[in-house]
Amino acid sequence: MKLNNPRALEEYRVSLPPKGGGAPVRVRVCAGTGCIASGSQAVYDAFVREAENHGMTIGVDFAADTTGCHGFCENGPIVQIDPANIFYQHVTPDDVPEIFEKTIREGESVERLLYRDAATKKRCKSEGEIPFYTHQQRIVLQRTGHIDPTDINDYIREDGYSGLVKALSFSPKEVVDEVIKSGLRGRGGGGFPTGTKWESARIVESEKKYVVANGDEGDPGAFMNRSLMEGDPHSIIEGMIIGAWAVGAGNGYIYVRDEYPLAVSNLRRAIVEAQRLGLLGTDILGSGFDFDIEITRGGGAFVCGESTALMASIEGMAGVPRVKYIRSTEKGLWDAPAVLNNVETWSDIPRIILNGAAWYAGIGTENNSGTKVFSLVGKIKNSGLVEVPLGTPLRKIIFDIGGGVMNNREFKAVQSGGPSGGCLPASKLDTPVDFDHLKEAGAMMGSGGLIIMDDHTCMVNVAQYFIDFLVGECCGKCTPCREGLHAMQVLLHGLTSGTARPGDVALLREIAESVRDTSLCGLGQTSANPVLSTMKFFPEEYEEHEKEGFCRAGVCSGLYAVSIDPETCTGCGMCARVCPANAISGEKKQVHVVDHALCITCGSCVDACRFNAILIERGNSND
Amino acid sequence: MTELIEITIDGRKVAVEKGTKILSAAKELGIEIPTLCHHEALPPDGNCRLCQVEVVERGKRKLAVSCMYPVRGPMEVFTNTERVMDARRSVIRLHLNRCPQATILQDLAREYGVEPLDERFVAEHDDLCIRCGRCVRACAALGNNCLGFAGRGWDRTIIPPFDEPPVGCLGCAACAEVCPTGAIKVREEGNIREIWGREFRLVRCTSCGEYFATKEQLEKVDSCGVEVSEICPHCRKRDEAKRMKIS
Amino acid sequence: MLAILQDIQEKEHYISVDVMRSVACYLDVPESRVYSVATFYKALSLVPLGKNVIKMCNGTACHIRGSPEVMKAFEKELGIKNGETTEDGMFTLQTVNCLGACALAPVVTVNGRVFGKVRVKDVPCIIQEVREDETE
Repeated sequence: MKLNNPRALEEYRVSLPPKGGGAPVRVRVCAGTGCIASGSQAVYDAFVREAENHGMTIGVDFAADTTGCHGFCENGPIVQIDPANIFYQHVTPDDVPEIFEKTIREGESVERLLYRDAATKKRCKSEGEIPFYTHQQRIVLQRTGHIDPTDINDYIREDGYSGLVKALSFSPKEVVDEVIKSGLRGRGGGGFPTGTKWESARIVESEKKYVVANGDEGDPGAFMNRSLMEGDPHSIIEGMIIGAWAVGAGNGYIYVRDEYPLAVSNLRRAIVEAQRLGLLGTDILGSGFDFDIEITRGGGAFVCGESTALMASIEGMAGVPRVKYIRSTEKGLWDAPAVLNNVETWSDIPRIILNGAAWYAGIGTENNSGTKVFSLVGKIKNSGLVEVPLGTPLRKIIFDIGGGVMNNREFKAVQSGGPSGGCLPASKLDTPVDFDHLKEAGAMMGSGGLIIMDDHTCMVNVAQYFIDFLVGECCGKCTPCREGLHAMQVLLHGLTSGTARPGDVALLREIAESVRDTSLCGLGQTSANPVLSTMKFFPEEYEEHEKEGFCRAGVCSGLYAVSIDPETCTGCGMCARVCPANAISGEKKQVHVVDHALCITCGSCVDACRFNAILIERGNSND
Repeated sequence: MTELIEITIDGRKVAVEKGTKILSAAKELGIEIPTLCHHEALPPDGNCRLCQVEVVERGKRKLAVSCMYPVRGPMEVFTNTERVMDARRSVIRLHLNRCPQATILQDLAREYGVEPLDERFVAEHDDLCIRCGRCVRACAALGNNCLGFAGRGWDRTIIPPFDEPPVGCLGCAACAEVCPTGAIKVREEGNIREIWGREFRLVRCTSCGEYFATKEQLEKVDSCGVEVSEICPHCRKRDEAKRMKIS
Repeated sequence: MLAILQDIQEKEHYISVDVMRSVACYLDVPESRVYSVATFYKALSLVPLGKNVIKMCNGTACHIRGSPEVMKAFEKELGIKNGETTEDGMFTLQTVNCLGACALAPVVTVNGRVFGKVRVKDVPCIIQEVREDETE
């Protein structure tokens, strides 16, 4: 059935049966990549089976849905029960009969499956009571975790495609102006004003124009785009249709990382459903406007997140960036103007049009309007996706929402912006998170990865990790990035293995600065950031690695010795159990000791000890 | 009528057509900017990063590669500031680290006073390829598109497809001709030319008798519908000149 | 072209020279271009992969939660290094950059199936499980 005009869409929306066919009890099982990995499919099956055992008819007495990611993956599989609005975590198929008995039959909650707030020791019944969620403002992620991403009707029920209807009643220029007024800046990391980019493409005369969505989320430790593409694919598609209308594009591409198979299949399905309703294709909603979208799967190359490399990849070539003195909005894809935005940016568009630019500009701070999704990971208690207004201080995100550092260790640094970003120390925790302040502090927003590090994280090792990553992902086109990163890698490996020569740290800085200044593409220019920012905030660690061969974090093998603090050791035996070299011994409930001759300084005991009783000392255990 | 734009390079004024690259504009003034990946007959690529200059445009001062930066409006260019020199020095040092034996790099290092990095950074002492891709572009323009980059990052190399002697190669040796470091080996003995692991028969010029092209090259010209002349370019030019004199 | 090569990769588990020649011919592009695309993208392999592909995530979250140690355990258990395939063609071991399941770090996938919060001592069990599935 094709919807031939905006009215038909409204009638269609009204004609839809209520969610779950009006069943009195509805269960939503998270089917994001994280929860599936934790076994959510089996949980879903168990619910369906159990309902049948109870003589319920699916779709009449009982409805079970799978949804996109809730962003609280650490605690998956997550199950929500409506209308009681109960939020269960770590649900296994074995829990399902009990949930039926207690929650569905008697309306009571199963205490042990509720989230327990570590600070107040209180169990939280609904999502709204969990601090992880209460401090967030979810706009982009509003629907993920609530709707079934494989059903367009779910999206349409929740105002879906209303933004498109409104946009089609505007002229293209009016749409662009609205986006400019909203102050929306590119969510992929660059922070370029979206409306300005659209305008430069709109005014170019060209037979062909393209809109492109960048879903090549390559930053290791970031998965907000994955969740969005999996959980709310239609919002991206709707945003792209609006953008295409505004700039005059007839074709769109969504470039999705190869590592995200679920995102590819949910987007593919969404496109087919939108085509079926006439929301994509020719004469969209009777407007006379034609537009369609194709999916391009990435081939496993980080550099394809760079705009010109991504376009080369869509054109079927190796993803190598080109010198960008001519903008993509003039000559992008197949030499025609192309507007490339991150999937999150596209997903912001329908709401901006629907609720108005002023509404959006009112969220966040001046010059940094709206919300941004971050993926909060690493040594943090509540790993997951966090959406907050721009300008929210790091401290609030890490401690109020994230619950602080795992095992109550000391906070050392937060790495923001992926391999192109930087590490910020505790002294920068009050930095408001937005494009400008993060840059000023020495990191960058990037696409929104926030990786938390504790005192058992070596900053030289972290820099080495990122440089290793980038050496593997560098396209190899330009000299500074290709040769410079390799030289930096040699130096960093020297530092972390205790074979550094005097002056290596200074040389490392020199090479890093020149890579920053002379590389061809944005990724090359920022590739030295992990080194430069850790050097800026943690110079003492570099010094110690170079001059003393000492790693204070107890990470770099052979560059430290461990001993057990007799004052704090409780004799729990955890360290002895994890030690792969059997170098730790001691009686139960007695202070344990390390045999330095056997210790291989792997650091397992440091991680395992819950009492911070393992001390890191200078000197090699093997000395 | 193309628009002329006046720009300043190192304090001297020059008017160039809109879209001209800074490198060419500088050349008009006789200002030398060192290059490696750039070749006049080939499309620019901007990958070697040696031809950096400082550009002041619309109040912003930045480093730019002159072989690709187009003149679009009034701008001021500096080709020898400390920042430019630093950038070039670091690029030369990194190149030298890959190809310590390349004479062109050794000369540049001497000119710019660059000390090479120590031996820890050198992978292969006899690698001469700086991955500039002039050969790839030359083969695309003149040959049969037989060369390409393979792999990526530090391991990026230039080899014929599948690392086999290239089937479509004409043996024209344009790749070796444009290589700035002499990394592509061509061996000629009698009427045989060996390149990329293949042997080609050379054809003599019917005028001067020198070997000047491979059979495959002439066949390609033939297949393009152009009349094949078995006269070398050198003799052709001489004949042309003679004819012009007579007329 | 990338999409075609990916489909072939999925079906054949690698891209052979013959395949690259045919793709070049089919699309009427130089072989050098196909070769450069095939060697550029990590999702494509020019050598046959094992029946079971183990991917160890080395995203940042996995890295700081101990993926290098887990990787070493896989290497020890299978007797191969990163990127290699066992002699019997049963297993290929690879590292990948972030599978986007960071909250479950460290993450391993075997033939697309995700294992979260993998510890060194889980490694033999995972391999055992795959072997058992195989014999069934």
